[in-house]
Amino acid sequence: MPTLRLLAILQTDCPTCRLITPYLNALAAQSIPVSAISQDGEDSTREFMRQMDVRFPVERDPGFDLARRFNVVTVPTLYVLDEQDRIVRTEPGFDKLALNEIAALFGQLPVASAHDGAPESKPGCTSRHLEAHTGDAGAAALDLYSTRGKAASVIDLADGEDPFEYCYRAFGDALPVVPPTIERVEQALRAAGDRDRREVIARIPPCYGEATLEKIAANAVMAGCRPEMMRVLIPLTRAVADERFNAHGMQATTHFAAPLVVVNGPVRHELGFHFRQNVFSNVARSNSTLGRALQLILVNIGGARPSAIDMSALGNPGKFSFCIAENEEENPWEPWHVERGLARDQSAVSLVTCEAPHGVSEHRSRTARGVLKAIAYALSTVWSYRSCLGAEALVVLCPEHVRTIHRDGFRKRDVREFLFANAGVPVRCYADPEPFEGADQRTMYKEITIDGEPCYQKFRSPESIQIVVAGGTAGKFSAVLGSWLTGPRGSQMVTYPV
Amino acid sequence: MRLVNPLNENAPVAASLAPRLSRLEGMTIALLDISKPGGNIFLDRVEHRLLNERRVAAVIRVTKPTFAKPAPPESLEKIRHADGVIEALAD
Repeated sequence: MPTLRLLAILQTDCPTCRLITPYLNALAAQSIPVSAISQDGEDSTREFMRQMDVRFPVERDPGFDLARRFNVVTVPTLYVLDEQDRIVRTEPGFDKLALNEIAALFGQLPVASAHDGAPESKPGCTSRHLEAHTGDAGAAALDLYSTRGKAASVIDLADGEDPFEYCYRAFGDALPVVPPTIERVEQALRAAGDRDRREVIARIPPCYGEATLEKIAANAVMAGCRPEMMRVLIPLTRAVADERFNAHGMQATTHFAAPLVVVNGPVRHELGFHFRQNVFSNVARSNSTLGRALQLILVNIGGARPSAIDMSALGNPGKFSFCIAENEEENPWEPWHVERGLARDQSAVSLVTCEAPHGVSEHRSRTARGVLKAIAYALSTVWSYRSCLGAEALVVLCPEHVRTIHRDGFRKRDVREFLFANAGVPVRCYADPEPFEGADQRTMYKEITIDGEPCYQKFRSPESIQIVVAGGTAGKFSAVLGSWLTGPRGSQMVTYPV
Repeated sequence: MRLVNPLNENAPVAASLAPRLSRLEGMTIALLDISKPGGNIFLDRVEHRLLNERRVAAVIRVTKPTFAKPAPPESLEKIRHADGVIEALAD
């Protein structure tokens, strides 16, 4: 067999390049000679490598000579090269099948599983040397591509106008906000560093309003964020607009879905994110204001105003603010962001579309099995009891439950597999002659046996159940949060480095 | 007091309604199913009535892959040549 090598062309701000990088790490870990070319500057390339925990060599292509020589159209593009650097295979964008075929070409095991939460495929971005340079002039009314947005206008309040009453009427939701005065917004912008305030960080669905740094700062101020929160809010704004997350659908659905923010890594301590008792409630300024800033951005920039575009049948209290941090200190397993592909010392924000938390009290059981059985029963009820395979779930384990489970030798993977095997709906519940949700899909359901009873398996795979540790060390109360529609046809969880 | 405007200030792109059809006979009508439960049952009946009672020239059936996302370009492309569209929205 000829000696082959794998070369990837990447950009540091391309979501598809970020998506593919953990898979390239996995290929490199199987002793495949992987290397990459970054089309960006030295600093951003170094930062990208640190954030993504890149485990293969990366060089740069400052004049785009290589991009021209290889005629790169899209990033990422993977090239399988032989000893003479002749191209054996070209693979643009992200494609799980192609990644596994490439692994096989090197005689190695597949690296992309069907149920790891990533889409089957995703197109990439335009190679840097082919990018259009957008100026200020002639921007269309709905410009989805330029990287520089309009300057925010300034509103002069009349003398005697109460700024709180004005803001209550003009912006925000049904709670008062801090008036976004020029001075306060300037403070937030200074904390964001030496950046162009008109830089478009993302376009927020469903109206695709430009979230420029300035607009993000104004909403951060209104939510009560301290200026230093900008470093978390900027990547969070990118994450919420990630097409895999599908905020467009989430903001327009009649379901309960609201975006839950989960914070991981050192930023929890640096900015005071709370992860112990009362984690879901009104306990810490950082949690409450970050969650609230995200909601204000969705409403004010994205345009999903409650009862205008957002027509949720019952809504969700999380639409005021919905932000927790993981209690990594009480988590004997790997923290969630590490499981999601980031380095342990990398701070991260993750987003999941969730219903409100459903509590699981289990104070009598003394074994992992007993605690997990209680949680499995709650898991069986998400979306609708008799509806299987559609939803996913986030399980927030409290520290006392974690201790019992861990003491019995369960790894996180064992927890997930136990819950997967024990979450189901008895087949007898489908005997009802009336039509009901879940009945039509029965042909796709898998029949399993739980405690001797024939049941339909609730979830598609163990990966449909995600585990986060949070909460106080007293009280054996965990929680189950059902998701909205998931997978490529709904919303996929996203994790972004901070 | 001076405030920085926190709202999206890009004017929405104004879309006007397509010209209304004065008759259905001889027209090509697209039936768009967003793939919510029951949409196909409703549109089957509409198709039957359009062809048999209104004598439309043709019916184009289009199904969105998921109701949770905007229609992809390939779905819109199929609709493009129709004279009118009937969309089955919710459950």
